[in-house]
Amino acid sequence: MGYSITQWLFGILSFLAIMFALMVVFTRNPINSVLYLVMTFFCIAGHYLLLNAQFLAVVHIVVYAGAIMVLFLFVIMLMNLNQDTEPQKTLMTKLIAGLIGGVFLAVLVGTLKGAEQLSFSQTGASQIGMVKNLGIVLFKDFLFPFEIASVLLLGALVGAIMLGKKEIK
Amino acid sequence: MKALFIISGLGILAMLAEIFKFKRALYPLVLIGILAALVANFTEFNNNESIQAFNNMIRFDNVALAFSSVILITAFLWFILANDYFTNETSLTDHFSLVLFALTGALMLTAFSNMTTLFLGIEILSIPLYVLAASKKNDVKSNEAGFKYLIMGSFASAFLLFGIALIYGATGTFDLLAIRAKISEGMPLFFYAGIIMMLIAMCFKVSAAPFHFWAPDVYHGSPTVIMALMSTVVKTAAFVAFMRLFLVGFGSATSVWAMAMAGIIALSLIISNMTAAAQSSVKRMLAYSSISHAAFMLMGILAVNPIYSMRAILYYALAYSVATIGGFTVLYRVEKQSGNTYDDFNGLAKRNPFAALGMLICMLSLAGIPVTAGFFAKYFIFTALIGSTYKWLLVLAVIMSCVGVYYYIKVIIAMYFKKPTHQEPLLIEKSHTLLLAIAVVLVLVLGLLPNFVLSV
Repeated sequence: MGYSITQWLFGILSFLAIMFALMVVFTRNPINSVLYLVMTFFCIAGHYLLLNAQFLAVVHIVVYAGAIMVLFLFVIMLMNLNQDTEPQKTLMTKLIAGLIGGVFLAVLVGTLKGAEQLSFSQTGASQIGMVKNLGIVLFKDFLFPFEIASVLLLGALVGAIMLGKKEIK
Repeated sequence: MKALFIISGLGILAMLAEIFKFKRALYPLVLIGILAALVANFTEFNNNESIQAFNNMIRFDNVALAFSSVILITAFLWFILANDYFTNETSLTDHFSLVLFALTGALMLTAFSNMTTLFLGIEILSIPLYVLAASKKNDVKSNEAGFKYLIMGSFASAFLLFGIALIYGATGTFDLLAIRAKISEGMPLFFYAGIIMMLIAMCFKVSAAPFHFWAPDVYHGSPTVIMALMSTVVKTAAFVAFMRLFLVGFGSATSVWAMAMAGIIALSLIISNMTAAAQSSVKRMLAYSSISHAAFMLMGILAVNPIYSMRAILYYALAYSVATIGGFTVLYRVEKQSGNTYDDFNGLAKRNPFAALGMLICMLSLAGIPVTAGFFAKYFIFTALIGSTYKWLLVLAVIMSCVGVYYYIKVIIAMYFKKPTHQEPLLIEKSHTLLLAIAVVLVLVLGLLPNFVLSV
């Protein structure tokens, strides 16, 4: 059975995304970790493109890979984190963490069995990722969540200012 | 629906107070606003117009209105309790707006009927609380509490999102009622994995064992008034969300989550009561006891009884919140005078008889002694559960309630039968005396006329 270009791209992108994600966890140096995370985000943006969701892909790169990761890098550099200050985990902790993680992975993989028989009939799904359609969905069906998210942002903003500002004498 | 707009509007008004300099007027304004929201709630009752607003994203039916009224009443009492939390010149308006935003999230959680509103509600509730837990900026313990809460809360949110994603993948919808309708058609296995992940996330949020490790540290480290907020308003809101999600959304898939939930309840009951009995600080004891009360409310959900479950949980939430607010009023004053260990309560009956009496009634209610509201709260939960297959849980719950009586009575013994370690009388300001009186009256009235709430 021959694979189409999309399937090839999907395979390659998935492989890269998983590899980079693993590198994030396994690298000892936090700065390398962050850089690998940026690469993971690019791979996921590629997936969005494959799903014909250009807007989401661009936003993903601009917001996550651009803004948030730069912030991460700043924090890591300012706090001067390096592997000397990182406390070493005991063998027991590692063992238990590995065991629990492994069981969790097994459960997830096990439950995904049978999922390949699922089929979805989504009409017009190929166009849903375009900015225009996304806007219509956002302002029609999801108007309430969209508006109430502003309260969430305000709350986070006020909180950050409260923690950061100086006491008035 | 109107209550949600009023409360979020108040939060924004609190931010404007900083610019337009009406900080002094803010406290009465907020109290009036909450009362207005409560009145708005009552006018919407049995009025089906506002049920399906916003494309069924949020659904203020009678159950939601009843629970949001409980939350508003508790919040009103809490604002009286926390009056001097809002005197700090630097961050007075910030505190107001953060608490009001958290309240907005709590109201959303009573009425969500869509996974997106559930997630946003939980985040709107949690993020201001992370900051409020750390609001004693010069106290290391408070900072630790905020940080721990943030890390653990984000972890739970990640689980929640993963669960939502799996469920969306299986059903193709975020809508609770649509999901409920689809369950009967047969679902792929990973749908059930999604349910379990959401169960884990919600147990994190209501601090049920074995996901409770953050709770005692966070509760103990935060300022006492914030702890009072977390163990009443936040807990009630998280429970309504839990209840709506599992009774409305996954009510017909009990075979997947009921057994796991029964285990969680049993663990919570044993761990929290045993640890609470060993504490020497009353504040920490109340933190553990809130885990045990969480287990009792979970039993209401486990019953999956369409009529009794919701009423039992409603009554329990109200009874527990009122008694906790009353208890915290006394604890707060005692802590200000000396500290929060059992010894600081020694001889309180001589130092301030009224406060001791109020504390006595609130503790009896939390322990579940008859005539107080706490007794009927437990009674209704047990009635709801008795028809289900989990009768062994009832036996365990009764035994653990007896352990609970031990550590609540310890406070009472300290107050009435021990010689005071501090001789000076405990002074309580007028507003707090009034608050304590309201709490005591509510506990007794709810205990004497339990049908008043159940008729809702």
